[in-house]
Amino acid sequence: MIRAVVVDDEALARDELVALLREVGGVEVVASCANAVEALPAVRKERPDVLFLDVQMPAISGFELLAMLDPDTLPRVVFVTAHDEFAVKAFEQNASDYLLKPVERARLARTLERLGHNGGGSPGALAARAITRIPCLGPRSIRLVDVAEVESVRSSEAGVYVVTPAGEHFTELTLRVLEERAGLFRCHKQHLVNVDRVAEILLGDEEGAAIRTRSGGTVPVSRRFLSALKERLGLSWAKP
Amino acid sequence: MGLFLSLLYSLVGAMSAFMALFYVLSRARILEAGPEGPRGPTLVLYWIFFAGITITGSYLGIQLPDGVIANTRAVGAMVSGFVGGPWLGLAVGATAGAHRLWLGGTTAVAGALATVMEGVVGGLVRWWLERTEGAGRLPGWRLGAGVTIATELVHMGFVVLFSPANPDPLRVAEVIGPPMIMANAMGVALFALVMRDRQRDREQVQADSSARALRTARRTLGLLARGYDAARLPEVARIIKEETGAGAVCLTDASQVLAFEGLGADHHRAPGPIVSHYTRRAIETGEVVFADGRTEHYNCPISRDCPLDSVLIAPLSLDGVVIGTVQVFEPRHHRFSSVNRSLGEGLASLLSAQLLAARYQEAKGLLTEQELKLVQAQVNPHFLFNALNTVAAVLRVDPERARGLLLHLAAFFRKNLKRPAALATLREELEHVGAYLEIEKARFADRLTVETEVDPTLLDLKLPAFTLQPLVENAFKHGLSRTLGPGTARIRVRRGPGEVLIEIEDDAGAYLEPANADGLGMRLVDKRIKNLVGPGWGLAVACVPGELTRVTVRVPLPEAPA
Repeated sequence: MIRAVVVDDEALARDELVALLREVGGVEVVASCANAVEALPAVRKERPDVLFLDVQMPAISGFELLAMLDPDTLPRVVFVTAHDEFAVKAFEQNASDYLLKPVERARLARTLERLGHNGGGSPGALAARAITRIPCLGPRSIRLVDVAEVESVRSSEAGVYVVTPAGEHFTELTLRVLEERAGLFRCHKQHLVNVDRVAEILLGDEEGAAIRTRSGGTVPVSRRFLSALKERLGLSWAKP
Repeated sequence: MGLFLSLLYSLVGAMSAFMALFYVLSRARILEAGPEGPRGPTLVLYWIFFAGITITGSYLGIQLPDGVIANTRAVGAMVSGFVGGPWLGLAVGATAGAHRLWLGGTTAVAGALATVMEGVVGGLVRWWLERTEGAGRLPGWRLGAGVTIATELVHMGFVVLFSPANPDPLRVAEVIGPPMIMANAMGVALFALVMRDRQRDREQVQADSSARALRTARRTLGLLARGYDAARLPEVARIIKEETGAGAVCLTDASQVLAFEGLGADHHRAPGPIVSHYTRRAIETGEVVFADGRTEHYNCPISRDCPLDSVLIAPLSLDGVVIGTVQVFEPRHHRFSSVNRSLGEGLASLLSAQLLAARYQEAKGLLTEQELKLVQAQVNPHFLFNALNTVAAVLRVDPERARGLLLHLAAFFRKNLKRPAALATLREELEHVGAYLEIEKARFADRLTVETEVDPTLLDLKLPAFTLQPLVENAFKHGLSRTLGPGTARIRVRRGPGEVLIEIEDDAGAYLEPANADGLGMRLVDKRIKNLVGPGWGLAVACVPGELTRVTVRVPLPEAPA
């Protein structure tokens, strides 16, 4: 049984795809999401084998969502869209397959067959795509935080929090994704810092150091990342 | 005193003879000159005419003892300078002066010198007026009289100084001086008045013909708005004939006669081939061709009984290419005046300007339509396939509703195929948008609310077709489909003071200054409204980020139906 998550902003389109998958068989739809923000936790929680992903979605497109998923848990991706103008781009993103709406049952069956054949295989390296906005979930709202506004990111038992001068925001993205795709610097096992927002480095005891950010926050720096940080900052100071 | 008065009366009486002659000749076309004065052959004519008048001044003078002549020569010499400048004045003065010398007498040298001097002074007055007041200015009667009094005083000085043979030159000057000064000053003043009068007449006629050309142009404006359209030309020719009062009017394109109105229409048929070499010359050279009926006759190549004798052919050109001609004919014994000629030329350039404007409008309209088609083509595939996908989904659960959706889709595309150049009523526009909204509501059922609020008295308002749909589509694309939560779209049509406001609003507030094809869609809507109702109307966008984007279309409130 292939475990699938369906992401599409149109309810009827989701229903249609779920119905088609049921008809073709061999697939269990474990989650059905209306946008990228819903999809992020669903993918993390369900760890599906395949993600059926609409390209044009509100706020965060299918391509952007792909960049936000942790490469460790990345499922195979099948893009589903109304028009083929994105086809080339989809394959640049190493999508496994590409379906056009309205979806043909026989075409979907072929897709699933192919997925079943190399279902255990790795999804392959994704072309690196920069994240410029980080979707953050508030109690009643969803906020897209610009990476340039971020001072640091911390991870705790409760989850990953993006720290900005205006406050902290919970995000579904992992530290690794943010480090690799958003250009944030790893200064501690549980912390990232935005190098552009560093005000000063306070060198402490042998435990390591601390960074003061422009808005006055502190971010711990562990010993093993200190020299890399100095080098990074040194470099950035060298070229104003 | 008695002698003074009798001399004065005699001189004035003599002068009135050629005064009358001058008045008549001043009306004759033969002595007509432009504001820059006589040129070429006309100049010779002027010389002969004024030399004649001046010499006559000697003959009509009063013979006094010792070969002294009390005369009015000054008038002709002075006036020739006024109308022809210093050179003509010099020529006339020298001719009449030489003649005076030939007549002989004790004051011949003084008189000859004075006449030459007066011709030159008259010319200098004209030259000075041209410098200070512009070309074509003639001196008024006061100036004419003043200058003449001065030069005649000098003339008397000459008599005293250069008449050694005369026994008492001082006495001669005393006797002939006052009456000659007065008579010549009066004569020049009268000439100045007549010339001024004549000039005003000509200006009046010119102003009339300009007004006539403009009136003609205004009447043909609508007819030529769609270009040089053969079907409209007979009407254009009729208007030109009516306004110019010409014998006949003909319009051609570059190869054939398209319309002919007036005398000779029995054998000048339209449409027909171009047969006159005058027409061909105008088309080839792009210049006005004029057969004035005097030196050149319009010899009709078709019929020998043709009443038409003179013709003015003005080429109509567009972007430097002659596309046709306007021809104005007059019958025999009914020649063109030069004023009529300038009317013909003015008319041709006004009509050319109208044709240029028509072509520009047409090109602009075509471009807009092309762009619009492009935008429509860009918009459709996504909408179409998503709509079909939605229908496929609905078909599973509610075939009847799916059928309804397909009908809406058909209605939408049917309206999309309509010629984009056409006008549509607000009702039709709302139907088009309505079909679109039905599909979108099905697609985003859980997230989309549409509110429509339309003043029903405005449903017959005329708009360019495809005004509303691109704006509503934009509201979706840039507004609602960007927010994660539910959204509301509002379409409102209401009256303002003297205007109609059509507002399309979404509550996403995600409007960004569009730089791509979507921006083109909005610009097109704006452009087409401005083309239709004028530059003061069209689109305005207001955006409160995160709250609201409102696109407002302003058009004038149509006149209330009677």
